[in-house]
Amino acid sequence: MGAGTLAGPAPVNRAPAGASVAERLRNFGHLSRPDGAGHGTRPRERMTRAADLQGYDAELTARLPPVCNRPVTDRHRLGKCPIGGSSRSTASGESDPTGERKYFVATVLQQAFRRKSVAAMTSQTGDGEKGSGELARSIGLFELTMIGVGATIGTGIFTILSTAVPLAGPAVILSFVLAGVVAGLTALCYAELAGAVPVSGSSYSYAYATLGEVVAMGVAACLLLEYGVAAAGTSVGWSQYLNALLGNVFGVQIPEILAQSPEGGGIINLPAVILVGLCCLLLIRGASESTKANAVMVVIKLLVLVFFIAVGITGWQTNNFADFAPMGFAGITLAAGNVFFSFIGLDAVSTAGEEVKNPRRTMPLAIVLALVIVMAVYIAVAAVGVAAQPWQKFEGQEAGLSAILAEVVGSSWPGTLIAIGAIISIFSVTLITIYGQTRILFAMGRDGMVPPVFAKVNPRTQTPITNTIIVCVVIALLAGFIPIEFLYEMTSVGTLVAFLVVSVGVIILRRTAPDLPRGFKVPGYPVVPILSILGCIYIIVVGLRPITIIVFAIWVVVVLIWYFTYGIRHSRLGTRA
Amino acid sequence: MTLVVGLPRDERATAALHLGGLLARALDEDLVVVTVVPPAWPPGVGRIDAEYQEYLDQEAAEALDAAREALHGGVAADYVVSRARSAAAGLVEIAQERAAAMIVLGSSTAGVLGRVAFGSVAERLLHTAPVPVAMAPRGFRAAADTVVEQVTVAFGGAAHDTELAVAVAGVAARAGAALRIASFGVRPRTPLTAGVGSHAEDGIVEEWAHDVERAQQAALAAVAELPAPPAPVSATIGRGRDWASALESIGWGDTGVLAVGSSSEGPLERVFVGSRSSRIVRHSPVPVIVVPRGSAAALAAQAAEDR
Repeated sequence: MGAGTLAGPAPVNRAPAGASVAERLRNFGHLSRPDGAGHGTRPRERMTRAADLQGYDAELTARLPPVCNRPVTDRHRLGKCPIGGSSRSTASGESDPTGERKYFVATVLQQAFRRKSVAAMTSQTGDGEKGSGELARSIGLFELTMIGVGATIGTGIFTILSTAVPLAGPAVILSFVLAGVVAGLTALCYAELAGAVPVSGSSYSYAYATLGEVVAMGVAACLLLEYGVAAAGTSVGWSQYLNALLGNVFGVQIPEILAQSPEGGGIINLPAVILVGLCCLLLIRGASESTKANAVMVVIKLLVLVFFIAVGITGWQTNNFADFAPMGFAGITLAAGNVFFSFIGLDAVSTAGEEVKNPRRTMPLAIVLALVIVMAVYIAVAAVGVAAQPWQKFEGQEAGLSAILAEVVGSSWPGTLIAIGAIISIFSVTLITIYGQTRILFAMGRDGMVPPVFAKVNPRTQTPITNTIIVCVVIALLAGFIPIEFLYEMTSVGTLVAFLVVSVGVIILRRTAPDLPRGFKVPGYPVVPILSILGCIYIIVVGLRPITIIVFAIWVVVVLIWYFTYGIRHSRLGTRA
Repeated sequence: MTLVVGLPRDERATAALHLGGLLARALDEDLVVVTVVPPAWPPGVGRIDAEYQEYLDQEAAEALDAAREALHGGVAADYVVSRARSAAAGLVEIAQERAAAMIVLGSSTAGVLGRVAFGSVAERLLHTAPVPVAMAPRGFRAAADTVVEQVTVAFGGAAHDTELAVAVAGVAARAGAALRIASFGVRPRTPLTAGVGSHAEDGIVEEWAHDVERAQQAALAAVAELPAPPAPVSATIGRGRDWASALESIGWGDTGVLAVGSSSEGPLERVFVGSRSSRIVRHSPVPVIVVPRGSAAALAAQAAEDR
């Protein structure tokens, strides 16, 4: 849909209600000059923060499709919305039913694509006035790379082989390459979108500021999968390693009935539920991960995986590679859709932009470096894994890395070490993922996209307790009752679509607001975003089971119905106007 | 009414005495300076205990003599040696005997200069004292003519916090000091690995501040309704990544004291410092008074009657 549809049949109110005539005229002037002549780019670094933000809002307002900030409450008010001031009534619209309908559609569309101004974003975080907001640019290349590695490793690699290898055979190594390259391309696009918004947030807030409310809601639908379902997936993996550890150390395991989802032959995956409960308690108490804690976790994770590689390589049998790609390229893509799960978290690098020294250089380097490290480790783990045992043995293997080492060495202690490392690192990943989920819903609650209870902060603990409990209950249910492969695939599809939207967003923003100051620009535009889009589409269409895509589509429709029945009326952007 | 000063036997004594003197002048009370010695054992064969006891008594007397010299500012004071099994028990006993309004203590020498640090006696009293406990920061000094200019009350926003604010307002009015209602929003940095940007926790603090501001307004209104409110009255919110920076962020003069309530989980009649209060106390650059909820209720009632 073009700007014409959005603008509606009437002149557009782009200035706030109290704006002077001169101001409106000036804004109008911008409209009539889509080439942007008259307000050239300013060197971003030289500007003060306040001027920067103002310039940003003005720039976007001038460039992007106009917005309407009135809530959709009744048709009466609707009719008046797009008029520049209430003095001009909508006589024509009210008397002519077709005109009114056209009007309604135009207005709803305008509201759906309204954007949150950066000034509003800063006032919400309180840094506009308090002065605490502007963060010192203190993160260098090494730390940023570690953030990327720390956020990525641990989500999937400990458990993904047993679901991915049966799909692709030893060629799963290529699936890691494919998924990794797509993840890297999307992370670069993500970094540009993040850098185009001078306030730091999640991809939901970036989409809200640049692409409009309904897109933000769609991104949020994906994020609920990327975070909520991912946390369920990691906690199921955690339960496998807990069981492996119990078996190795005490010779007792939690019975199948209490350690498997119903589809896997149990009733409930109790350890996974307990892990989510533990994370819930910690988050309510205000736990958080410091940069130092992240560094420690990165070291533990890498040590565990390097230990696996070092010990596992002694069981290397080249003839396990004899049947390299039993399922052909289709199998490789299917596995790529599955292992994409293990690359989520790489986008965390992009959201740190505001604190990064020299982001133009550091950002792409850190993304690429983190990706290279992560991919190298993953490929080594996968190669050692498939070399150690025939690929047919992976199916249904629980706590895979532990089991492989036990087989290679013929005793249980290496598996025990791996299990301990996995339990620690998966725990930290689950905690931080649930944390992210609560904070995204918190932001949505403040914007009026979900009920305000999500934005309620307990005065004593200073954490959003209700929000945390709701999130944890839902995640615990998913973890307790849904099999792990499905959780992986749902996370993958959510993440892929979110990245797809981000990549499309980069292209749209380059066209609609070419002069907008950006902290970081994608190298090789437009090739990188286009490749990123194609890569995402390819993995989604070819690499995921139809059932996953159908469930995802239903989920997005549900979220959009929610948006058009609740969000659009309760949006803070609407009620403020 | 009177204030009980628990007299340590070393260089910490001066801090406790100066705080006791400052508060006594402000509230127009007198002081009881107490030093505690262990009680005598049942007479034994060797009579060696009596000798030891004599030595302890002499030590105590010397400490009290030194205290007489250290206390300045024309405050009336009584000097007492208490025999009790523990210093905390001895202080509480004297406080109850004299119907004292407060127990005043110094900081442990293990703490940082200029900050409050709990010693063993303070740890115990902060969980059991029936009356408010005042703690001087380590190395605290107050000149003979210093007055308390501002009383800050740490305000959490719960129902009993308003009562505390009213109670402290009454005391501040009696001391002729200004009242400041302060709340502290403390959240660590947003972990960057979560991928939600660097401001997620700032948003939490802002939403919290929004709610607590309303509670502060209610408390301010309750204070304004007092027959003799302190003046001026203000409210502020401190923010920080940790308690130290949150407390620092609201600024402190040299002549203020901080009042905190005891935890809502502890017994009603006694001081019980919760994890939150204890963090506030430990990072306070000014003397702290911990008020048990029972005392707060009584003081609030008294404030409502004061003319």
